[in-house]
Amino acid sequence: MIEVKNLVRTFKSGDRTIKPVNDVSFELEQGTLASIVGKSGSGKSTLLSLLGALDKPTSGDVVVNGVSLASMPDGKLTEYRRRDIGFVFQQFNLIPNLSAVDNVMLPMEFAGVRKAARLARAKELLEQVQLDPEKHVRRINRLSGGEQQRVAIARALANEPKLILADEPTGNLDEQTGEHIIELLSSLSRDHNTTILVVTHDRQLANKTDRRFRLQQGGLTEEPARSRVAAASG
Amino acid sequence: MSVLARSVGNAFRNKVRTGAVVAVLAVAIGLALSMLVANQAVAAKVAELNASVGTVLTVNPAGGQGFEGGGEPLTAEQAATAAAVPNVSTVVGTKALRLRNAAEAAAQAGAGTQAGGPGGGQGGPGGQTTTTLTTSLTAAIDAGTLGNRNQAGQETTGSNGTTQPARTMSLPITATGIGAEVDSTGKALTITEGSGLGDYTSESANALLGTTLAEKNGLKVGSTFTINDKTFTVAGLFDAGTTFGNNALYVTLPSAQTLASLPGELSTMIVTVDSMENVDSAKTALQAALGTDKADVTQGQRNLETAVSSLDSVKNISLIAFIAALGTAGLIILLIMVMLVRERRREIGVLKAIGAPNRTIGLQFVLEALVVVAMGSVVGAAVASLASGSIASALISSNSTTTTAAPTGRGVPGGAAGFPGGAGLPQGGPFGGASQLLTTVTASASPGVIAAGIAAVFGVAIIGALVPALLTARIRPIEVLRGE
Repeated sequence: MIEVKNLVRTFKSGDRTIKPVNDVSFELEQGTLASIVGKSGSGKSTLLSLLGALDKPTSGDVVVNGVSLASMPDGKLTEYRRRDIGFVFQQFNLIPNLSAVDNVMLPMEFAGVRKAARLARAKELLEQVQLDPEKHVRRINRLSGGEQQRVAIARALANEPKLILADEPTGNLDEQTGEHIIELLSSLSRDHNTTILVVTHDRQLANKTDRRFRLQQGGLTEEPARSRVAAASG
Repeated sequence: MSVLARSVGNAFRNKVRTGAVVAVLAVAIGLALSMLVANQAVAAKVAELNASVGTVLTVNPAGGQGFEGGGEPLTAEQAATAAAVPNVSTVVGTKALRLRNAAEAAAQAGAGTQAGGPGGGQGGPGGQTTTTLTTSLTAAIDAGTLGNRNQAGQETTGSNGTTQPARTMSLPITATGIGAEVDSTGKALTITEGSGLGDYTSESANALLGTTLAEKNGLKVGSTFTINDKTFTVAGLFDAGTTFGNNALYVTLPSAQTLASLPGELSTMIVTVDSMENVDSAKTALQAALGTDKADVTQGQRNLETAVSSLDSVKNISLIAFIAALGTAGLIILLIMVMLVRERRREIGVLKAIGAPNRTIGLQFVLEALVVVAMGSVVGAAVASLASGSIASALISSNSTTTTAAPTGRGVPGGAAGFPGGAGLPQGGPFGGASQLLTTVTASASPGVIAAGIAAVFGVAIIGALVPALLTARIRPIEVLRGE
């Protein structure tokens, strides 16, 4: 379970103080598929970085399964990111001179998974995200945007995290692949009890999540969401 | 993919830049290794000089300061007295002979002149009488301007009482009887072909020839030649390292004494003291034992001081240059890695975001630096193996210029070992002067020295790479969102 308590993040810009995240509080049960929608620059990515321990809040706290991130030392935060979090970044953030399979293997290497096991899992994940097998060993900079997006999703799933934070995961995908990725994320939350928080502009994706939030001027409000069963039926 | 594999891959990410960095590093590392090779070579030479020549005392007849000197010849009894002096480990007697080509000597005699040697036959080692003998050999050195001038000035009047005009003359050949396998300075002979003379304390019909003398006369090991109609066989060839030194031959001490018909007479004694610390006291004791009116004892170490001092300065310069070049290599690594860390902040942020510990990222950057250093070291070692000899020579020759400008020791022609040379170089004392010593330093890039140098380079590179690697720890994972 994730509890977000009065989370505030401010930045200084000259004389001005910007508050992209302003007193945000919410809770997510384990296994929830949730979405955050909002305009560009509304603070969605900042909120995601606070939840993923990439950044530290100005005030407030994020409590994951009863453990406060605010009180965690850097080493523990690294371990938290490695073990419990899977990131899908808007700009993929893959390592350009490594192959697709090497990129997916990286988090597992940091987690101490043996080479044979991580290679097998990386291939399995790349197949799950429907990347052609001949492209598994291709360098990232020789893959299209959509293919890179799929590799990024596979990398996020590598260590079977409890929480996946995805920033526009279908933004660069064609409709069919996007549908497949939505289905994949949905099945992960349903079958593997993985909590998934998606930042998206994609109404179709947002409508398929269990809970839907809107971030506006730093403040978070929850919108009524259709149940997944209802969404699936039409 | 392991950290090492990733580091190797990263090192080649930008091939042009890596190539440029490797080239610059190779120059710095090559220079560092060259300096280390020079330093080691000079240090070895200084140790060799201190160990061998530094403990050597030379005994000459009292008053035998060059060709103008006088005095009584040394004897076998004096050698025995010297050997009994405390801390004296060995005493080697020498007997110097001067050889003239038999045919040339006959022609000169027929012309009614006597081409006197230094001092008209009164010169030679220690100023004592040097026996002139005839030989079938021809000198390997052309007299040249200096040799002709030197000998012409020493011509005596002929039987008709008139001074003969200066003519082109050939130089004599130095023949030395030795009581051990050392040259006339006490330095071990470098035999390049054949073997030594075996027992140097008994008469033998074998001889050792200088390489150029043998070449001039078309002689090889096993060939024969004559001295005063006695046939000698070439047992071996030696290389003294100088043109003058190679226009010489060695026979056993008794053979030389027999040839000169002066049994028991010595030209010089080479006395080796058991340690550097005892040289001064042994010299005093030796002088007292032999008597100041009978023998002059000179200390080889004193003659070497200038040379060793010069070598020491080369050693210091090369050490400083080695450290400077090493520091430069470290600085290059530091700057390049700082640049790479700054350039790859976002990538470091990505690695941290997906759970890479700081030590893994730091290790990756250190290994990446070491991959570049390894490539630079390979090229640098090749550069050093090719250039170290030239660099060492340049360093040494620039220093020896200063040294030879202030000659020391018994810097008159002759001294203990020399006859007037065709090259006209003063044979400054028993060790032939500082310049000769300096030029015999051989700098070769041995695998051990190169390996030690590369180990030092890697040590510096690790230090240089650690700073930027530690900088990666300060990069926050939020960098991953930079520009998003």
